[in-house]
Amino acid sequence: MSAARTPGTAPARIAAGEGGSTRARLTAMDVARRFLTLREGSIVVVTVLAILYFSVRTDHFFSHANFVTLLPYFAPFAVLAAGEAMLMVTGEIDLSIGSVYLFSPFMFYEFNKAGLPLGIDLVLALLCCAAVGVINGVFTEVFGISSFITTLAMLLGLGGLTLIISNAQPVAMPGATVTTTTENVTHVVNGHTITLPEQVNHVSTFAKIFGAGTYSELIWALVIVLILHLVLTRTRWGVYSIAAGGNKLGAREAGINVRLTVIRNFVLCSTLAGIVGVLEAVRSSSISPDTSGASETMFRAVSAAVIGGTLLAGGEGTAIGALFGALFLGVLRDGLTLQGINADYLDFILGIAILIAMLINVYVGRVRKGSGRG
Amino acid sequence: MAESEDVLTIEHVAKRFGPVTALRDVNLHLRKGEVLGLLGDNGAGKSTLMKIVSGFQKPDSGRVLLRGEEVELRSVDHARSLGIDCVYQDLALIDQLPVFQNMFLRREQVHRPVPFLATRRMKQETRRALDAIGVNIPRIDVPVARLSGGQRQAIAVARTVTSDADIILLDEPLAAMGAKEGAMILDLVARLRAEARVSIIMIAHNYVHVLESCDRVNLIQDGHITFDRPTADTSVEELNEIVVEEYRRARLAAISGDGPTEA
Repeated sequence: MSAARTPGTAPARIAAGEGGSTRARLTAMDVARRFLTLREGSIVVVTVLAILYFSVRTDHFFSHANFVTLLPYFAPFAVLAAGEAMLMVTGEIDLSIGSVYLFSPFMFYEFNKAGLPLGIDLVLALLCCAAVGVINGVFTEVFGISSFITTLAMLLGLGGLTLIISNAQPVAMPGATVTTTTENVTHVVNGHTITLPEQVNHVSTFAKIFGAGTYSELIWALVIVLILHLVLTRTRWGVYSIAAGGNKLGAREAGINVRLTVIRNFVLCSTLAGIVGVLEAVRSSSISPDTSGASETMFRAVSAAVIGGTLLAGGEGTAIGALFGALFLGVLRDGLTLQGINADYLDFILGIAILIAMLINVYVGRVRKGSGRG
Repeated sequence: MAESEDVLTIEHVAKRFGPVTALRDVNLHLRKGEVLGLLGDNGAGKSTLMKIVSGFQKPDSGRVLLRGEEVELRSVDHARSLGIDCVYQDLALIDQLPVFQNMFLRREQVHRPVPFLATRRMKQETRRALDAIGVNIPRIDVPVARLSGGQRQAIAVARTVTSDADIILLDEPLAAMGAKEGAMILDLVARLRAEARVSIIMIAHNYVHVLESCDRVNLIQDGHITFDRPTADTSVEELNEIVVEEYRRARLAAISGDGPTEA
């Protein structure tokens, strides 16, 4: 992260006079302190602790197979949360991403049914999602309705529209059809080569890229979060987003087009939710209009962004933190399941864990801002 | 002095906010290289006038002439491109951004071809600018939220003074400052006045400061400019008398109940 967020080093300086032996230790502590006071430092530590805990307590947590199991609980939420973080930095929130996530694959399906090729379906579906972002942004920034209300209405309305379009019926995701062929597969067993006819599943290259490949969603998540991180920390877009969320009037006085900045981030957030919707539909090769699932998806993404260190009030946020927030929630869910925790307890424990994680965040945030603030 | 020396002329400018009339009919001119002090009671319309000249707000009627040519200031960006920059009363700083990013807010320097922020270059230039002005800000990579009121004010002033602007508007540049920091800003204004490269309109409350730092003083009362005189031809006593008289009238009007009623 930029040097701007490094904490003051006053305590280390005061203590440094006490002797050479403590100096080295203090330097190490200083490094730890600096890391912890990065905006995303605390959630990284909390996530690593959770991973360590589950690795020790369960046999299968720290395994490749479990990592693959964990991915769908993590990667899609990382993208949703990072998009949400970009918007929350400007001081707004988008609750409609749950419905956009649902709406996007159905639009994809409709365009495909109309006879358009897969690539065009994808682009058009994402344009629809971007349009939703424009509507959210215009209602918020031009008509002055709070984004909480605007996007709550959009969450309900777009969920309803998805039910209407789909007749509330699940459909198979175009381009994600799994075909099965019988092929001769050669195995080596006890030094003998055996060739047996076996059922082998195939998916199209399109599907492999857009969600069906084992690591497809992970790669999408990492690339998207990296790009958002760079946008937020290294570009004018990022500076103006922070300015819009930190001091809206001041940003306008300085000549920043706050309206454009905020609407742009609404569009970004919506479009990313649309991408995740398509990825997830391709991965599961079917789409079902589950509107209650949509709200839960949204809540998890918003939680991940907030746990990751993005302020609801605006002015501060991090895409990488959002990724770790999503990873933390995924690890928690997966780890508790592996521990054999009764499913009824899962959300209860998740709720408490989120509160604890936030307490740590708030405490570290105080350290970061220096005494007397936060 | 000759009309042609005016860099900025404001003619019959009026501005209302709903039922509130901020400016009734303002006529004002600013000469090249001059420092014009603008005095007036709270709510007299000083800040509104500044925001019109800086392009932040549009007047309901009236004309703005820049170097003799009429312009319609469309936005802050537009006014800035014409060489007008403003230090607002609220400073327009972003607490969460570090000092150097605030210094370059909306004037960010970026690399080519990938438009990443040229952070190192902006830090160096910030350091140079702050040193040149003589303001003591130990770290320029900390969020401005951590700085004192005076330091924040100094950054806002430094940001505008180091820009390419040749018409600078200062809306109470000494408001949050202690004596020492205030003296530094007055020094800076004196230096700019001596160089005579830029023209400045400065809003202030302290008559002594105005008489010391400005070439001419304008008083704005009830949305009009009611007093316009070179600082050499007036005194603290005279300015005081005018304002005391204004209070007297306002009190009489309040007592008799038939005075001018501002909505």
